[in-house]
Amino acid sequence: MGRENLIYFGVIIALVIAVAAPFVASSNPDGLESAFFGVFGAKEVQGSDLDEEAAGAAEEQVQEVTGNTFSFASPFPDYSIEGMEKAGEALVIVIGTLLVLAIAFGLGRVLSRSE
Amino acid sequence: MNIVHIPDAFIPLTQAAVYWVIALIFIALSLRWARNEMKEEKVPLVAVLAAGIFAIQAVNVPIPWGTSGHMMGAALAAIVLGSPFAAIFVLTLVLIVQGVLFGDGGITVMGANIINMGVIGGFVGFYSYKGLNSAIRNPYPAAFIAGWLSLFVAALVCAVEMAIAGTFPLEIGLISMGLYHAVIGVIEGGITAVALYLIYTARPDLISDNAGVAA
Repeated sequence: MGRENLIYFGVIIALVIAVAAPFVASSNPDGLESAFFGVFGAKEVQGSDLDEEAAGAAEEQVQEVTGNTFSFASPFPDYSIEGMEKAGEALVIVIGTLLVLAIAFGLGRVLSRSE
Repeated sequence: MNIVHIPDAFIPLTQAAVYWVIALIFIALSLRWARNEMKEEKVPLVAVLAAGIFAIQAVNVPIPWGTSGHMMGAALAAIVLGSPFAAIFVLTLVLIVQGVLFGDGGITVMGANIINMGVIGGFVGFYSYKGLNSAIRNPYPAAFIAGWLSLFVAALVCAVEMAIAGTFPLEIGLISMGLYHAVIGVIEGGITAVALYLIYTARPDLISDNAGVAA
């Protein structure tokens, strides 16, 4: 496979993953979040039941512990567009993938030429 | 979709600032790597790895205990591009886009996420791969173990940060983060080895490019 082909193939794989992600990804809490819920009593470390109420309370409790109440309204919170379901998630993950590709390529070009 | 990186509320602002300072030092070193070591013909590969890592980080795979996990990608970037600083460069870009556009990972704590995933993931992944590959002379098992170890160590460092922050007690944090990420690490190691195999099969010249490249 040539130099260019590997790149095109890679971009296609990245886009396929991006489109599929919302449909195949697990909505279980991830490792850090699950550990957090375990510490704050919303879930057993080796259990699979999540107490939604305790989980919500935990997110307020942790702000009291750390005092970090900084909040930032991102344009597409949790990889979603309001009112659009999975298709919206797929769309924003595709946009994010292309954006990362473009920034990395642009910045890489500038830096690699600057010597 | 859910939280996958440290959110703002998990670390006090003063500690978050310290992590940002440390992260900025490593970001500066990664930019120096990009200027001095990254050849122009490697730029498309860097970009496609960054895009692929962004996409794969959105795929949470279910593991036992009602939990899920996703790939980090630092070991893969460091191994393919031949430097831990390449992983820092790639992961920093990915984390900025995730944090700013998608609220995935906090802004004040982004330095900590860059340290854990880029710096720890990149260094552990790169040097464990290098050591193992020279010992067993087979890049794929070496990449699997390096991927596993990079994620596992990053998770333990994260647990220590959580303990310093007062968010998790140290012991429970280490046990639960270690337990979950020992399993998630199998995904990290597996994808790292398979992706490396595909890349090296398509472009055998990249193997020799990386032989003997020091950090």
